[in-house]
Amino acid sequence: MTDLSPLSALGDALPLTIAIGPLTIRENAGMALASLTLRQGSGEPQPFGLHLPGPGGWKATDGIAAFWIGPGAWMVEAEGRAESDFAAALKAEARHCSVSEQTDGCVMFEITAADAAPIRALLEKLVNLDAQGFAPGSARRTGLEHMSVFVIRRAEGHLALLAMRSAAGSVFHAIETAARRLTAA
Amino acid sequence: MLIPHPLLGPRDAQEFTYLGDASLLNRPDGMAEGALPAFCDYVYLRDNPAGIHRELWFHEQGDRSWLVVTRNTLTHEILGAELARDVALRRQK
Repeated sequence: MTDLSPLSALGDALPLTIAIGPLTIRENAGMALASLTLRQGSGEPQPFGLHLPGPGGWKATDGIAAFWIGPGAWMVEAEGRAESDFAAALKAEARHCSVSEQTDGCVMFEITAADAAPIRALLEKLVNLDAQGFAPGSARRTGLEHMSVFVIRRAEGHLALLAMRSAAGSVFHAIETAARRLTAA
Repeated sequence: MLIPHPLLGPRDAQEFTYLGDASLLNRPDGMAEGALPAFCDYVYLRDNPAGIHRELWFHEQGDRSWLVVTRNTLTHEILGAELARDVALRRQK
């Protein structure tokens, strides 16, 4: 069998981690993603014991998290399970819902800092969201340089950006440029 | 311009795409008597009011929901927004 070497979304052999001033940007290649959509009449499930968040919310339990993406729809994340068939595992937890694999089409960037200030400054530069109101536990889809991205505030000093994998380079360029301008200022 | 999304609060109008008159929700019955002229009116005839207008907006870079937005076409003031799904379900009742 042909021996294929996996590439990261940015085209490198290993996922990128870069530190710019107070911010660390890391491509998270291990995150498994699957979308969960209610069908008509199906009750709201609690996959892996997780109470699904309401509009604009993100919630986590051990190893599993979910964020609201639309009425009756969520994206479910599993850290470090990108190589496994996570969609099948989620489907087993929510039999009466529609589940689609999303890992391969996406790229996740984790942006961390020691405290909230640099994350808030980056948010203000990057996306047209209310940076002050975007507290930990919030998740929104919005536009970033004409690309559609999900922005998730995991903690005061931790922001995640989920984007199209095919546009990984452009999204990374946007984050990197904004971060460099913040340190230059 | 901000659109007051009923679930997500005020959102930048750039996240939305515009479709047109909310009367598009009133699709005529294609099997009924006189369906042809009814569809002709539905497809081609639109009111073009100078003033308050109800229109369909799609939250494309957002939660992908359709909204019925009430807007004043003279001042661009947005007077309200509700989920098109709620409007359509209410009409069915």
